Amino acid sequence: MRDQISKYTGKLLADRSACADGIAFAAQDDVLITAGAPGLAELAGNTLSRLNSLALVAARPSLPFADFLIARAAEGEDCIVPQDTETRTFLHDIPFLRRKDLTGDPSPVLAKLLGNRKGVIVEGVGIVAVGAITVEQAFINYSSVFHSTFVKYLQDVLADGFRLPGEREAFQAFRSQWLRPLSAAGLDFVPSLPGDKEAILDEIERVGRYTVERGLVDSFFGNISAAAGELIYISQTAASLDELKGCIDPVPADNSSTTGITASSELLAHRKIYEQTGARVILHGHPKFAVVMSMLCDRKKECNIKDCWKDCPHVRDLGGTPVVAGEIGAGGLAKRVPPVIGASGSAIVYGHGVFTLGREGFGEAFATMVDVENFCREEYFRRVDGKVL
Amino acid sequence: MGWTGKLLHVDLTRGTCERREIPAEILHAYLGGRGLGVRLMRDFFRLDPFDPDMPIIFAVGPLCGTNSPTAARLACVSRSPLTGTIYDCSAGGRFAWRLKAAGLDAVFITGQSARPALLAIDGARAELLPAGALWGKGVKETVASLKERGSVTAIGPAGENGVLFANIMMGEGNSIGRGGLGAVMGRKRLKAITVQGEGTTPVADRERFDAARADVMRLFRASPVIFGELGISEYGTPALVDLMAQRRMAPTENFRATFFADSGNYSGPAIKRECGAKKEGCYGCPIQCKKASAQGEALPEYETVNHFGALNGISDLHAIVRANSLCNELGMDTISAAATLSAFGEARGRFPDPAEVASLLADIACRRGEGELLGLGSRRLAEQLGHSEVSMSVKSLELPAYDPRGAYGMALAYATSNRGGCHLRAYPISHEILRKPVPTDRFSFSGKARIIKIAEDVNAAVDSLVACKFAFFGATLEEYGELLTAATGVEYGPESLKAIGERIYLTERFYNCENGFSRKDDTLPERFFTEPGSGGEGIDVPPVDRERFSEELQKYYRIRGLDENGGFGGRNILEELP
Ligand code: SF4
Ligand SMILES: [Zn+2]
Ligand SMILES: [Zn+2]
Repeated sequence: MRDQISKYTGKLLADRSACADGIAFAAQDDVLITAGAPGLAELAGNTLSRLNSLALVAARPSLPFADFLIARAAEGEDCIVPQDTETRTFLHDIPFLRRKDLTGDPSPVLAKLLGNRKGVIVEGVGIVAVGAITVEQAFINYSSVFHSTFVKYLQDVLADGFRLPGEREAFQAFRSQWLRPLSAAGLDFVPSLPGDKEAILDEIERVGRYTVERGLVDSFFGNISAAAGELIYISQTAASLDELKGCIDPVPADNSSTTGITASSELLAHRKIYEQTGARVILHGHPKFAVVMSMLCDRKKECNIKDCWKDCPHVRDLGGTPVVAGEIGAGGLAKRVPPVIGASGSAIVYGHGVFTLGREGFGEAFATMVDVENFCREEYFRRVDGKVL
Repeated sequence: MGWTGKLLHVDLTRGTCERREIPAEILHAYLGGRGLGVRLMRDFFRLDPFDPDMPIIFAVGPLCGTNSPTAARLACVSRSPLTGTIYDCSAGGRFAWRLKAAGLDAVFITGQSARPALLAIDGARAELLPAGALWGKGVKETVASLKERGSVTAIGPAGENGVLFANIMMGEGNSIGRGGLGAVMGRKRLKAITVQGEGTTPVADRERFDAARADVMRLFRASPVIFGELGISEYGTPALVDLMAQRRMAPTENFRATFFADSGNYSGPAIKRECGAKKEGCYGCPIQCKKASAQGEALPEYETVNHFGALNGISDLHAIVRANSLCNELGMDTISAAATLSAFGEARGRFPDPAEVASLLADIACRRGEGELLGLGSRRLAEQLGHSEVSMSVKSLELPAYDPRGAYGMALAYATSNRGGCHLRAYPISHEILRKPVPTDRFSFSGKARIIKIAEDVNAAVDSLVACKFAFFGATLEEYGELLTAATGVEYGPESLKAIGERIYLTERFYNCENGFSRKDDTLPERFFTEPGSGGEGIDVPPVDRERFSEELQKYYRIRGLDENGGFGGRNILEELP
């Protein structure tokens, strides 16, 4: 398990979601092991030893957004309820512990909270997330909490402005230092994807890595596919985009075999997109600004629909990219995305993420996703700047 | 809320039925279903399975009667005559729902009737009626003749005749399978139970309940295994046939091989095409993983197609469907029946052909000719034939259709299972093969001891809710804990449910240890440590590394707080438990 811990410590560093000196893991088989930043490692170990789970990560996020969310929360609230799909589906809500309520060793209360939820925020300490059966799972849950708090904080700032001392400065630093320009420049793509299996698998693996390396998406949530004659090559469910080797299922278009039962939950959406657009490849991920912007709707006031993410019947627009609602998997996204994605080669799903197409290869799909996210980023800051905060 | 707090105590010897209270602390600590049944066995677990005083318990759970997805289920608990272990089996359908609606959390049946009997429950009334006319009848006819009385559960000839893997068949096509509880019921001369009820199960917090239910349904829809277009809702469990072939871990010819070239004949899509499979399933379940033919005949599950197929070298789908129907009609377990035939085939050097399968199955149910010996299951059969090595079983329970050489968590879980060679106790296939909730490396033992332990606890809780394991390809105890809390008004969460699961698991293990089970029984048939499986297409399937296996088993014992021998070191844990 030590190798797993160093692997996922490395991932937290690579995706810049945690501070280099603030990452610790604990894992238990028949013995408990801890690794990483001493104070956090102790907390991780003490907490995990109280849980019937295999792994735990405690890390200080590289952005102060989670702490700001706590400080902005009303007195008496004890959890954050982000509106993005990842949270809604897997986390439900994110409990937190306030600094002022921390007395002595917080691990007993922490363990109690983690007994019910996958991740918890401890003000001034960091995000603590548990992995029921693997170290990877703890990493994924950390990553989800990071993603959700990021998205929620950006939404809240746009809605309500800054409220705390230091917020404006931190936001500026985030904007000018933490964020990096997104681009597809310098990446290699096969211009026209050939039909042979090996070439396709190689290209999917490489492009999957690009999406993570370029900071376009987090590694775990997203999927990717290529159509080749009667087959769709698609990443497996619960596969990380930057580690797709051996995790790509060939699925016959006519469903004559069920080996693809392990394929991504978005298989149906991919299949319908191919049927309706004639595309060669599809890329799907959860770039954060697109997620934030997709949830801004001018009609919120007059609209009667409560569950926008699944029930909104409108096709909205973000810089030429259609935005639709629909739940993942066998929910509604597979119905609403295919009819709208053809024209621009891209579509955004409310509170969830982006799908893009390539008619010949991944170059186009990748560049389009970068464009969509860049547009959303610029548009977000344009709106922030337009508001007197 | 959630529970009725009532148990129907039936004494077949004395011919009495009376309602008794179940203490609330016991219900809160053991939930229902498997947990409750196992707890109620505390004073009886040492009895011989065929002792007249051995109870057979049917227990529903606190979610039964609500519209929690997959929760119209019950557990049947007793001691298995096949394995000698404590035994429970989960089954879905209206019977469970109506039992709850009759105001009962459990039916506790003890004693032995002098003549064939029927237990008829109708709301608050319960009576024992003569069933001489039904004795000897097949399951279909029995169920049909009792249908005005409500939902039916019954045994077939196999149960009457003491076949050690006889099932109790639920009227709607489900079964209480594997461990031979049908034979326990048969020995009691209880042919059937019928139940009718009108009561409803109140929900403590409706709003919270509905929110949790919506969360569960969202996760079902997000799960490719459940509602994906290649998933079990669409194809039933035979959706696994192609996958297991591709992973080269489909037990073939009594586990001498792990790949069967003709498995495509009975894959999910093939069954759909050939049999016009349509969706069916347990009452109240949105998944509907069971499939029936256009004529309404229940179609075989993954385990069954593999075992009557690859395991016996049979590639004819229709022969497999017939064998499945025959087992259902005679009331016996398909996995153990097929695996016992396969062991028999290996011992004599020839696997049975489809015609012989059919005639042997009938012989088993009637205990005639070779059926006499076959009806004892593969372990006893193999010993009597002087070929104990051909029984592919753990604690005398025949292994299902996941070759342990292809998934090391599965290898360990077969060994540690409290009811013998069963895939469902820890269900590592979920992560080792189906990548849920996250994937694990199937060819590695790393971390598996802890993972198996946790999963055993989780599933013991799931079996006590009672919910279906398949629900957990999408949902987790987080959402089911919410449902339970909302339904009962008592706070539960994943950790507290796992703690309940652990309590149940240790109780079962303790019963087994008291009955002589120990480390020597926590192992796999020799074949898996010495012979490779059928590698190919870049996948190597070596034998299981015996040393790593033992090492991981010892880790498992330590994590469970057991001694090196897998025992309790003289501690009586029952005294420590509620
Ligand atoms: S998934 Fe299948 S077995 Fe489980 S409750 Fe539903 S129909 Fe029954
Ligand atoms: Zn997505
Ligand atoms: Zn709207």
